[in-house]
Amino acid sequence: MIEIVVMVVAVLGCILTIMQRDLLKAAILTGITGACVAFLFQFLLASDVALTQAVVGAAIVPVFLALAVYKTQRMDDQ
Amino acid sequence: MIEFTIDTQLAALFTSAAFIVIGLFAAIFLDNIIKKIIGIAFIEEGANLFIVTLGYKQGGIVPIFLPGMNAEWFAANSAYPLPHALVLTSIVIGASTLAVMLAIAMVLYRKYGSLSTAVILGDKKPDIIKSGVIDSNEKGDKNE
Repeated sequence: MIEIVVMVVAVLGCILTIMQRDLLKAAILTGITGACVAFLFQFLLASDVALTQAVVGAAIVPVFLALAVYKTQRMDDQ
Repeated sequence: MIEFTIDTQLAALFTSAAFIVIGLFAAIFLDNIIKKIIGIAFIEEGANLFIVTLGYKQGGIVPIFLPGMNAEWFAANSAYPLPHALVLTSIVIGASTLAVMLAIAMVLYRKYGSLSTAVILGDKKPDIIKSGVIDSNEKGDKNE
């Protein structure tokens, strides 16, 4: 039953990410979604994919996004 | 106690569908170009999750063959390991394509001074024109 909770948290993190106006917050919430997807891969019996996704989705992708936000502008001006 | 169980495979398929729908919404309807890139990353994660979910087996074991296991029992009870190998490559390629997309977004910001797609495509003028950010040979509203 805990995998259902992880799935709901992943989808909520997804929705919150695209609702943010602060792009740095959006980058950090992307990391939460990547970590939840890594747990989900572990529950789906794919341990090797879970290891790679935990490194890439929870660490490397938010750092790339935060670097891009640091080099450009932080607020989303609608 | 009420006994209700949700099939893990079906729930994971719905999760990947939600990822793809949210990513498509962000990539099509949002204005900021970094939000569009985040949406494309969500589409990739949804596709990876879909492919891994296809190899799932209810009540199975992780596909690692330990010494002492019966080979026929292992083949009948383990998850299907071929999608895992494919997705392992796809995750790394997704990270590198994300890096390339962010680099192009940074070059666009340096040229146009904004991350908005409407400004980049010329539908709207930027609110604050920073000196030195906008390229000098851009067809000029220097006079205003």
